[in-house]
Amino acid sequence: MKSENPHALQTATHIRNFCIIAHIDHGKTTLSDRLLEFTKTIALRQMEDQMLDAMDLERERGITIKMHPVTLSYTAKDGQTYQLNLIDTPGHVDFSYEVSRSLAACEGAILIIDAAQGIEAQTLANYHLALEHNLTIIPVINKIDLPAADPERVMGDVEESLIIERSECILASAKNGIGIEEILEAIVARVPAPKGHNDHLRALVFNAQFDAYRGVVSYVRVVDGELKAGTKFMSMAHERVYECTEAGIFSPQMVPTKRLGLGQVGYVIANVKSLGDIDVGDTITGSVNAAHVPLPGYRKAIPMVYCGLYPNEGANYDDLRDALEKLKLNDAALIYEPETSIALGFGFRCGFLGLLHMEIVQERLERNYNLDLIATSPSVVFRVTKTNGEVELIDNPSKMPASNLISLMEEPYVKATIIAPPEYVGGIMELTQARRGTLDNMEYLHDGRVILTYEMPLIEVIVDFFDQLKSRTKGYASLDYEIVGYRAGDLVKLEIMLNGEVVDALSFIVARDKAAFRGRALAEKLKELIPRQMFEVPIQASIGGKIVARETVAAMRKNVLAKCYGGDISRKRKLLEKQKVGKERMKRVGRVELPQEAFMAVLQLND
Amino acid sequence: MIDALGVYVHLPFCPYICPYCDFAKFPHRASRAKRYLTALDREIERMGNVPAATIFFGGGTPNAYDAPSLSALTRRVSQAFPAIGSDEREISVEVNPELVRDGDFSAYRAAGVTRISIGVQSFVPAEITTMGRRHTPEDPSRVVHSARAAGMQNVSMDLIFAIPGQTLESWLHSVDAAIALGVDHISCYGLTVEEGTPFERWERREPAAFPDDDAQAELYGATMDRLEAAGFEHYEISNFARPGKRCAHNENYWRNGDYIGLGVGAASYRDGVRYVNTRDFDAYCAALEEDARIPVQSERLEGAKRVGEAIMLALRTEQGVETDDFQNRYGIQFEEEYGPVITRLLDNGLLQRTATQFRLTRRGRMLANSVCAEFLG
Repeated sequence: MKSENPHALQTATHIRNFCIIAHIDHGKTTLSDRLLEFTKTIALRQMEDQMLDAMDLERERGITIKMHPVTLSYTAKDGQTYQLNLIDTPGHVDFSYEVSRSLAACEGAILIIDAAQGIEAQTLANYHLALEHNLTIIPVINKIDLPAADPERVMGDVEESLIIERSECILASAKNGIGIEEILEAIVARVPAPKGHNDHLRALVFNAQFDAYRGVVSYVRVVDGELKAGTKFMSMAHERVYECTEAGIFSPQMVPTKRLGLGQVGYVIANVKSLGDIDVGDTITGSVNAAHVPLPGYRKAIPMVYCGLYPNEGANYDDLRDALEKLKLNDAALIYEPETSIALGFGFRCGFLGLLHMEIVQERLERNYNLDLIATSPSVVFRVTKTNGEVELIDNPSKMPASNLISLMEEPYVKATIIAPPEYVGGIMELTQARRGTLDNMEYLHDGRVILTYEMPLIEVIVDFFDQLKSRTKGYASLDYEIVGYRAGDLVKLEIMLNGEVVDALSFIVARDKAAFRGRALAEKLKELIPRQMFEVPIQASIGGKIVARETVAAMRKNVLAKCYGGDISRKRKLLEKQKVGKERMKRVGRVELPQEAFMAVLQLND
Repeated sequence: MIDALGVYVHLPFCPYICPYCDFAKFPHRASRAKRYLTALDREIERMGNVPAATIFFGGGTPNAYDAPSLSALTRRVSQAFPAIGSDEREISVEVNPELVRDGDFSAYRAAGVTRISIGVQSFVPAEITTMGRRHTPEDPSRVVHSARAAGMQNVSMDLIFAIPGQTLESWLHSVDAAIALGVDHISCYGLTVEEGTPFERWERREPAAFPDDDAQAELYGATMDRLEAAGFEHYEISNFARPGKRCAHNENYWRNGDYIGLGVGAASYRDGVRYVNTRDFDAYCAALEEDARIPVQSERLEGAKRVGEAIMLALRTEQGVETDDFQNRYGIQFEEEYGPVITRLLDNGLLQRTATQFRLTRRGRMLANSVCAEFLG
């Protein structure tokens, strides 16, 4: 590693940086745990199942959102001790930018494939992403001891679909500790050691967390130079200077070290107050002797999905704002700004990376901040070119200009990859067609399953697509998608009127040829969801002022306690108070009382 | 008008238990019935020496006791809670028709009883069976004549609608039969399936057997039409009376007046506090035998809760909320206090206003819970 010439390329011969990528449930977390255990990074008795997925919400969903790297010390069969840095990656398409930054911090990737299930949509997506980052891939066929395991078949698919020689595959069972040493040896032998220069500091921030006591903790991979306590450094994306107060590694807790050198992975604490000041993908360089060029690949997080979040009682608006502020400290991708709805009053328009990100934020607000929220149905960002040439980005259907002012409407599209057994192809085609998808490609895997690639509007994917796909394929289909850009669309705004009044929070933008159908379906759904009121409630769906659907919630006809004598009075009062509390959970829009689910009804429409 | 006190006496024994009833009640046993009367006497002694405007014997089945016992009890209660003026006051007794024997009512009358309330529920044999009652369709007529012969000024009948198996036609048959017998007062109760009753288990098993809200609304609407056409005043949600024949004892409840309840599980309301005696038979008797306090649940009503209850009760009646009266009694300007709620209810056609009062419309009566809930909490 030492060299006479600081400008020469250096190699950190005893460091390996790698990540583990896999389709959901293929065993990523279990394998991570085994690697920690085998290298005695963590004693068995301290081991809590699924050590790396630290947050409750993530455990419940079986996915990793906020990942946390860990440094393993491994003495290989060659007698040398290596520092292996395992960089965990989020397991959901919403966080693909974060995934890409984690991959950028590595030289190698372990690609896990379930020996029974074989290649799935996320396997492919992750594999391609790893290739884009020039990572050395070590395929691991996991769960080989399952009765349904068929490693031979899966290796065949690896050979044909991933173009990796079958001899490179390692057979393993993370659950039962089979193949763990082989994997560690492969990491040492096959993953290239990091290379860099010693003259200018450059470190990639591949993740960052906010700690209430210490401020932002940046997770970094040092590419060039070194970093230690006292180093004055600059965030190249934000051009701000900080002084490093502590640097260290994860083992798996944070342990301060004297320095983080070339190729190393660890954390940096400086006096950074908010995640907005240093963010994922940023490059850290020295404030003196600064690098001229940042590491490639940085971009600002772009919210793809928007919805309105409103406090269920007006008095909670300030609480909601405070909670969003606090969440934002730890979630740079969340954006929000105040908005007002005629139906719902004061709230916020919030932008998310995707639907899962949206659900997680909502759940955190409700659980951790005890807020009673109403969320409007999600929307994407439409691009409208007006007749006067002005271009507007529309993240809220109620802001859509009148149709006579629009010359072009565009919407975001994705490339969706679906893998499923062949008998479900008919059902998938039906669904994707209903969702305006166009088939790009169709391929067969060894086991007979089909890989279908579609281009589809994002809005069609975020509104209940995955659930529909699962139900049409008995759960066998897997899905992955990536944004590919804007495409023109013939889109209209569908409005819902209750009792003759437009309810802005219920309107949405939809393809013209499906608008009437969707309007009818939504009106029917609302009829189910809206409880009978003291008067009749007409529900109408309209497009550009033309009514396309009408339903009626009949008036409640009888709700009266027959007897109210001496012994009944208190009991009856309490009963009525309870009814009243039930009603208070409703949102009054005009004269009509709406349950919270009504605002998400558009998510529950069948195709 | 001074606030008149009502006295309610609970007689919990029944010769048989009806499957829809959730009152405090026990199968009749001679030894227990005797023990109870002794305990009750002690409670009467404790609480007595207060004038009362009305007395009401309810149950249970008061006439599960024989006429001499019940008449003697009436005299003792009457003495302990003397009448306020010199006019004869209302003293009511609830009876099960099949238990009424010749001469019972004359004995009651001699003890001061003025009003008989007959638990008929239905004149249709299948419905009588469904409700677990044991009278014949002819019993009510015999009992009404007996009451008239004894000189009762007010004869009332209880009927129940929305019984499983009941049709609009069969229901109106019962209403017409009651009218034809010339009674002064009819209470028509929509069947309420109460928690913990055999009916509740039935409804869970077979919900379709029970008329839904729409069917109940139809039955209730037809009841109003039929009884109003026959000259009855609809003076409370479930109560209809010929002019001058309303039940004064019950009207006191709805005016939010004070009352004393005597007996196991009986409720009282005095000076803004609601009390309910224990429903545990042994605990009730033992407390009185040992000269100890009867276990009670109590709740002091203040502020919005007190006014809310007063509104809930007043809106059940034909008079509704009389704004001046509310101003005097509770110190609130009803219209100012509840402006937006009132406007909404007026707009929805559930409430109507006159110069002096706000009361439920016909539709408001059907939806009284929804209306009253608006004023609570």
